Amino acid sequence: MLVSYLTLGYPNREQFLTLLKGLVDAGSDVLEIGPPPKYAKYDGPVIRRSFKQVSSQGYDMWALLREARDAVSVPIVILTYLEEWIPTLEDFLIKLKDIGINGVLFPDLLIDFIDEYEEYVEAVRTHGLKSVIFTSPSVPDPLIQRASKLSDMFLYYGVRPTTGIAIPITVESLITRVRTLVENKLVVGFGLSDVEDMRRALKAGADGVAIGTAYIEEIERGGVKSAIALARKFRGVLDGS
Amino acid sequence: MEFQEDLVPKYWYNIIPDLPKPLPPPRDPPDSEFSRIELLKRIMPKEVLRQQFTVERFVSIPEKVREAYINIGRPTPLLRARRLEEMLRTPARIYFKFEGATPTGSHKINTAIAQAYFSMEEGVNHLVTETGAGQWGTAVALASRMYGLESSIFMVRVSYEQKPQRRTIMQLYGAKVYSSPTSLTEYGKKLTSQNPDHPGSLGIAMSEAIEYAMTNGYKYLVGSVLDVVVLHQSVIGLETINQLRNLDEEPDVLIGCVGGGSNFGGFVFPFIGAQKGTKYIAVGSFEVPKFSRGTYNYDFPDSAGLLPLIKMITLGKDYVPPPIYSGGLRYHGAAPSLSMLIKEGIVKWREYNEREIFEAAQTFLQAQGIVPAPESSHAIKAVIDEAREARVKNEKKVIVFNLSGHGLLDLPNYESMMKRMS
Repeated sequence: MLVSYLTLGYPNREQFLTLLKGLVDAGSDVLEIGPPPKYAKYDGPVIRRSFKQVSSQGYDMWALLREARDAVSVPIVILTYLEEWIPTLEDFLIKLKDIGINGVLFPDLLIDFIDEYEEYVEAVRTHGLKSVIFTSPSVPDPLIQRASKLSDMFLYYGVRPTTGIAIPITVESLITRVRTLVENKLVVGFGLSDVEDMRRALKAGADGVAIGTAYIEEIERGGVKSAIALARKFRGVLDGS
Repeated sequence: MEFQEDLVPKYWYNIIPDLPKPLPPPRDPPDSEFSRIELLKRIMPKEVLRQQFTVERFVSIPEKVREAYINIGRPTPLLRARRLEEMLRTPARIYFKFEGATPTGSHKINTAIAQAYFSMEEGVNHLVTETGAGQWGTAVALASRMYGLESSIFMVRVSYEQKPQRRTIMQLYGAKVYSSPTSLTEYGKKLTSQNPDHPGSLGIAMSEAIEYAMTNGYKYLVGSVLDVVVLHQSVIGLETINQLRNLDEEPDVLIGCVGGGSNFGGFVFPFIGAQKGTKYIAVGSFEVPKFSRGTYNYDFPDSAGLLPLIKMITLGKDYVPPPIYSGGLRYHGAAPSLSMLIKEGIVKWREYNEREIFEAAQTFLQAQGIVPAPESSHAIKAVIDEAREARVKNEKKVIVFNLSGHGLLDLPNYESMMKRMS
């Protein structure tokens, strides 16, 4: 499963839509879209750069999301911090459902809302949306098991503490450990940015990978076409070539 | 027959997978211009950084590190404080792990050796750190020497001037010791140009050490608070478990003092992991009331704000501690894992004032002959209270504490305390 991440409106409105369609054509199964948050608390420098660029252009988030939805038919999951939406959560979820978004993924759910995470999962579902749960190596085993059962679509497992910084870790052993706990589909991300990392993750039992930082770096280097080509390459690795 | 050396563990213990909740990850502050996690990658030895983020329960101790542990006298003694028991007329049995028996006089050497070893393995030839009172700097100076590495220690200027003995030990080990703020870094130059007599601070010394390491391509060693340091210190608790087993003792109460939390975590966490003991007590200073007054929040581990934010019990990075004698307990926060265990009620805390600490230290040294570090004396005070309670309730419980350092270089402090008390 190839899960592709895009920052909403990056690099600009038009090219964002080109990228979106291109990533789907290249074989993405699910798209994660991240609107620039007020506080990118668990994001790395590359993703933050993309937020900064988009914020300086100032789009209507909802209008652009609607355009994105109309442009492609694969499931779209919104990746955003729960903390930001708590005051208007109900309204937020209704609007997402209304424009046809399929689900949400809150990376801070098990970190900053650990004591009430199940209530939030329920709230998301009550509004007809899928709730994808984000876990990481520091989540204790019993909680990973529980979250895996609760998570819709797949369980997201971020292997590094912050996106896109290659902190030295042993990818295989992390995934091997979590694989034994998860019956759900397992998608690994957060800093898996080269093909070798990806092969290791798949070999260790991941069902899919989530790519984000690598696309943005590629866009910075060679534009959206280059990022779409990269998605094709990743698709190839997933398909065993 | 079991040799003493066999009591030194082959693995360090990591409590992260055994915590009740996920440990909140380090993060950057809002609107940060640079990534602090990326900074860690540039300044820390690679293997140390990998261990900082590892979630493996047991991490193998390289054979050469284990040999170095044995070479400095590990296992350190686990002694029974019989005279103290008699003086307190308690039915409790009191044991203490004596980390003051290492050459540098405290537990700090346990992580310094590991970090210096990994640096050497990576081809690094020069290590840099900061030190306040001098315990950590001494440990880095010796560990560097053991692996043939150069070391530069940025020592807070007031300590540099007031604690010449510490400086001398570091220099004897071959370290270059600088009185911070220095003219070796841009930051130091800026401060000294504003005030040539700047007294310095731990935050300044740390900023200088990091800048100096980055500019010269050296590596920076961290002395407490971070998970990797607590991991290395677990050698203390793991040894103690082995030593108690040989004595056929089951511990009930485990006690340690808390500066940044590495001696406490290193001593107590292996017991928590092995589900040994029923009560864990972390002891802080009444004058630096992080447990009673601190909040559980994301905060900088360093007052300079160069390292990533971590979630911990903290008085705030800008907290200015009063000038208590227990220099090691003046730190504003506590290790994230320990903070969580305290928040969850698994580890209990106590805070004692300086007068109580002095009395406890005197009771202990008159009973056992060892002059304890003022920091470790906080643990002693809690031990005495527990032992007295055992007397009242007539409980034959087993109390074990970590005597994290000796106080022979703190005699000037004891001297002025005696004057104040008389």
